[in-house]
Amino acid sequence: MKKNKRVLNGAIAGMALSVAFSASAQAGSLTIASPQDPGSWDPIDTFLVNWASVATNIFDGLTYRGPDLELVPGLATEWEELDEGTRIRFTLREGVTFHNGEPFNAEAVKFTFDRLLGEEGGQGPQRSNYTAIESVEVIDDYTVDFHLNEPDPVLLTKLAGYGAMIVPPEYLAEHGDEHFNTHPVGTGPFKVVEYNPREDVQLEAFAEHWGGAPKLDEVTYRFISEPSTAVAELQAGRVDIVIPPTVPIGMIDTINNHDGISVVSVASPTVEAIRFNTQSGITADERVRKAMIMAVDRQAIIDSILAGEGEMIASFQGAQSFGNDPDMEPLPYDPQQARKLLDEAGVEQGATVQIDVRGNDATFGEVAQVVAAYLQGVGITASIQPYETNVLLNDIIPAGRTGEMFQQKWGGWTFDFDNTAYLMYHTGERWNPYDSDAELDEMLESQRSITDQEERETLLQEIAQYTQDRALEMPLYSINALYGVSDRVENFEPAPDNRIRLTNVDVSE
Amino acid sequence: MAKFLLYRILQAVFVVIAVTLIVSFAIRLTGDPAVMLAQGAGSITEADLDRIREALGLNQSFLTQYIGFLRGLVVGDFGRSFMGGTPVSDLIGRALPATLALAFASLFVSIVVSIPLGIKAAVSRGRWPDQMIRIFSLIGLSFPNFWLAIMLVLLLSITFNLLPPSGMEGFSSFIMPAATMGIILTATNVRLVRTTMLDTLRSQYIMVARAKGLSNTVVLYKHALRNCSIPLITYFGLQFGGLLGGIVVVERVFNWPGLGTLAFEAVSARDYPVLQGVITVLSLMIISINLLVDIAYGLVDPRVRKE
Repeated sequence: MKKNKRVLNGAIAGMALSVAFSASAQAGSLTIASPQDPGSWDPIDTFLVNWASVATNIFDGLTYRGPDLELVPGLATEWEELDEGTRIRFTLREGVTFHNGEPFNAEAVKFTFDRLLGEEGGQGPQRSNYTAIESVEVIDDYTVDFHLNEPDPVLLTKLAGYGAMIVPPEYLAEHGDEHFNTHPVGTGPFKVVEYNPREDVQLEAFAEHWGGAPKLDEVTYRFISEPSTAVAELQAGRVDIVIPPTVPIGMIDTINNHDGISVVSVASPTVEAIRFNTQSGITADERVRKAMIMAVDRQAIIDSILAGEGEMIASFQGAQSFGNDPDMEPLPYDPQQARKLLDEAGVEQGATVQIDVRGNDATFGEVAQVVAAYLQGVGITASIQPYETNVLLNDIIPAGRTGEMFQQKWGGWTFDFDNTAYLMYHTGERWNPYDSDAELDEMLESQRSITDQEERETLLQEIAQYTQDRALEMPLYSINALYGVSDRVENFEPAPDNRIRLTNVDVSE
Repeated sequence: MAKFLLYRILQAVFVVIAVTLIVSFAIRLTGDPAVMLAQGAGSITEADLDRIREALGLNQSFLTQYIGFLRGLVVGDFGRSFMGGTPVSDLIGRALPATLALAFASLFVSIVVSIPLGIKAAVSRGRWPDQMIRIFSLIGLSFPNFWLAIMLVLLLSITFNLLPPSGMEGFSSFIMPAATMGIILTATNVRLVRTTMLDTLRSQYIMVARAKGLSNTVVLYKHALRNCSIPLITYFGLQFGGLLGGIVVVERVFNWPGLGTLAFEAVSARDYPVLQGVITVLSLMIISINLLVDIAYGLVDPRVRKE
């Protein structure tokens, strides 16, 4: 009987041990809520930030840009600009393998870019960002030359993300594009174990990663599009991180007041402005545009509606953007001066304007109402016209069918003012239906061929100043990226562009 | 009967064509998927957009695209999603069972609750149980389903941590979404059961049954319920079709990986093939249910066949 008892005790101890063991095996798993399934993991298929926030852990680029936005070596250990910026030589990292065991080398780089610039890439949206690349030449196993049609000062940054992620040639030759969409293989710190479209994607640590094995064993990204559902999952402890832009401003308190979770925020490249029709209506007059900007207390809007989760901007870019001039001041809030300018321009009390906004953007809806109230303060009656977002973006703005003012939200993942400025201000661009300014066009074009970064920065700052002088838009704020994070997550560093690399992230039990 | 069947099937084919034609045409008015795909690319040019449109087949005329869709439909090929190129049939194949399971569960909840409540209300007509049931039914009808869903999540998942707030992970995941849909259906069905039961209870054969001295239970469940079950089954069958359409909101709140979520995302992304596929499947199912009901009527009642 005594012996039996010992056996039983041993069995219980064994069970307890095995439970403890399985608990420790589970220790390194993390669950993240992501708002959208990109549908395909192939880097050339999409431009969704929601793709990048997952895929930055599956793939590597030649360069890498982390949360501090510094450009550092990725799969290329160094690079050199030759022939006045029309050739870039990359030295590649040795001893790197893809998740399937295939070696990474110069051929893989050439294959990736031939594919991106060839037929497969032509079917997706990514190619347009890499058209400066004419060809990629293999010099030896670990050296490649990029031959460019023209210098592209933003190319190195582009190589750190999206379409330029390096893909495995043998794997693709063997399994084809379609298989690759759902069974991606990269060189990143995590490999895909299982992908359930529209539900989740499960990753496992890739211990042989060149940067060292990740601390976590497993990561699951669940696709949850409804913000309140994602927050409920976070509150219930079934999700550890909710990535932007899911957490609405209105839910910050809900999260912070709940035990064990909190909101972590970081300045993001996303900026918001109300742009003007510079061709017709009262906003065709520069003085009126300036007056309207000065009539609105933008800081008060940030403090009240954004709960302080934003920064005032002087031009259409955030503080981290290359080309932002920290010394440039936004036009001051000065309603008296505004009224004076309006009088000078002959605008009568009760003049009307229309502000077109995205109908699904509740926060901006409130912002627009406050803007309208401030404008009322200087005698302008503003009506707000909400449109279905895609209708506004596809049909109303590009066709120049907006009211006197319209909402423009802009991401800017390259963190370089060139991209934003060119598309917003150059004559004939899709997002610039009204304005045409030869001097501005010339400035925008000339900065594109300058490879001296200091010189380029100065010119971009001049462009920013020029647009402020002409009051081409009412710059409002840059918005913080809001993450909902569980207290069990350790070493979490919020990424401004939602691309959190999970190599160093860990969890406590 | 064969002529009647053929006529109804042809009618169903015509309805599918009409529905898909309207959906395909309407969604093409709402925006350009090429622009949606390219958003974020920044330096996208018209040439890039043209290239993407060509790759997606959007440069063809609407009629060519639609005929291509119908051709694919005949062989069960719904095309590929614009967002990533997954075959639409695969996406629907994953989502349809989830939606059907939820719809059946909701209907089950509503039938199990509404029949006894409806009968109770009918037999105690005008007295307090009837009044209470009617008031509760009215309250149930007045709840918007998204509100009810969020309240259930707040209460059962966050406050008491009893059920998973979202996803489809076994039985516990079914409770809240099925209850949300079920409560609203129950509210309608209770009133229907009550009215049907009242009509039946007034009929002569019930009076005869009572006069014969049969017990109340036997009268109610053996005679009355069986007789009023035909209109109820018909109604529940048709309700199942309506349920499939109304499930979008509930699926979204509970992140249910069904057709509603798929359709919602497809509309937001202007993913024409996915939306066309989902709508076609949904309309085919609703039409089939109607067809089955009609055929059943036709079989039972010869007068219907002559219409």
